[in-house]
Amino acid sequence: MHERLSFFVRRDSPIHSLNPMTKVVLAFSLVLIAFSSPWYWTPLTIFLLVIVPLTLIGKVAREYWNFFFKVILPTVLVLFIMQALFLPGESKIIFDIFGLEITELSARLAFRNATRIAVMVSSFTILLLTTHPSELMSDLTRRGLPGQFAYVIISSLQIIPQMQAKAQTIISAQRSRGLDTQSSFLRRAGSLIPLVGPLVFGSLVEVEERAIAIEARGFTSPKTKTSLHEIPDTSTDKRIRWLLAAFVLISLALRLWPS
Amino acid sequence: MAVVNLQNVTYKYPLTSSLVLQDINLQIEDGEFVAIVGPNGAGKSTLCYTIAGFVPHFFKGEMTGTVEVAGIESHNSSLHEWVLNVGLAFQNPFNQISGAKYTVFEEIAFGLENIGVPRDEMLARVSEVMKLTGISDLADRSPYSLSGGQQQRVALTSILVMQPKVLVLDEPTSQMDPIGTREVFGVIRKMAEQGMTVILVEHKVEWIAQFTDRVIALKDGKILLEGPPRDVLSSLVLEENGFGISRYTSVARKATALNLWKDARLPVTLDEAAEGFAHTTAFSPKGRGE
Repeated sequence: MHERLSFFVRRDSPIHSLNPMTKVVLAFSLVLIAFSSPWYWTPLTIFLLVIVPLTLIGKVAREYWNFFFKVILPTVLVLFIMQALFLPGESKIIFDIFGLEITELSARLAFRNATRIAVMVSSFTILLLTTHPSELMSDLTRRGLPGQFAYVIISSLQIIPQMQAKAQTIISAQRSRGLDTQSSFLRRAGSLIPLVGPLVFGSLVEVEERAIAIEARGFTSPKTKTSLHEIPDTSTDKRIRWLLAAFVLISLALRLWPS
Repeated sequence: MAVVNLQNVTYKYPLTSSLVLQDINLQIEDGEFVAIVGPNGAGKSTLCYTIAGFVPHFFKGEMTGTVEVAGIESHNSSLHEWVLNVGLAFQNPFNQISGAKYTVFEEIAFGLENIGVPRDEMLARVSEVMKLTGISDLADRSPYSLSGGQQQRVALTSILVMQPKVLVLDEPTSQMDPIGTREVFGVIRKMAEQGMTVILVEHKVEWIAQFTDRVIALKDGKILLEGPPRDVLSSLVLEENGFGISRYTSVARKATALNLWKDARLPVTLDEAAEGFAHTTAFSPKGRGE
């Protein structure tokens, strides 16, 4: 049930074989461009012209769209509606319901913000779908990211599904002892309390033990770490990174000097 | 020369008032295989943490006395130097998996990456030690998909690969079946024979009696008894203090009262019991008819 320990899907694709750093730069570039560009349509354009092709090239379209419809789309829709209703915008009213008004400007701003969020979540989803977490970690550590920081990020990816599995176990255990999970909302909210205790305190103990375990394996050693995996960093990777950096710079320049 | 040397060690955890270790004096020779036994709360795990350097470096708290391992004094060193000499594996295997690695092979290499072992040497050492502990076939599995016993072997292997001088094991076989236990004890003994000093906390008394050189009985943070396994483990003092004792010892003790056990020493293992009972006429084939 919780077999898959990260988003990563092993496929043989050009995106998969890129250096992890290139993909990180790609994700951040898309986010920066989407957020810095003053045009309303930039994020949607990025989504259609970059994100969608990337999922196809990376052969992760099925997984991506699955996640898109389950998580990204609902989030973005809620965000759009809320922002459209509540962002102040002095312009033509295009929609009016129970005294709540959507003006043209608020709709535009909401659209831009919602698509920006969609681009942000999507680009990191693609990064995670196509990059093996331990490769990402070793590559970033090799480039000078502190080991502790890399560890926190990467281990979360594995440990969160483990915690979910544990929560499920606790729920089943409590249910078998008569926990009510099907009646009214308030009662169910109340019955969460006996679930949270074991999960939180159990996790605290786990954290301490895990700290001992990795410490016993030299985690805080000041020596330069080596890596089991050799992660190729080709000249193509470098070129792609410079290209992306250039795009980001252009986009920022357009934002700062809108002449 | 003693590789582990504890002098008057007293310790309490932070924010508590009770002393977990009280005036412990303990010397362990290079290459010795020592077992620590004791009831719950006796301070066994704390003693392990002390030898492994986590008390006081990791847990803080108040420690007096001196702890010296491989010639280095605990107060004058940092934990990352300490762990190069002392390897620690403890009971819960799930929490010993780093969480940063996706296959067993990577998991075992984790420690070597941290201490900067070159890649070629790393590959060789990981493969070799996995063969030794019999988990080569798990190399490509996810550490989280393994059973408790398999995870314990991975945890043990992850420490062995670091080639520590002193190996501290806190119930390394708690989740294993008898076959797994025998195999792991085989590996530990092999390490001991190769000259590694092994300190083992274990409840399985019969295994301790078969494999170890010396037993230390701990109660309420003090050393109650220490000596050769058979002497300590069959001692009446242990039984009176609520230690787990071997069923062969209890049978022989009852048999002594009935004058059916003639030996001065009581047995701990099946073999010792069988040998002892073979000497008494009541159990010999000749005596059965009378």
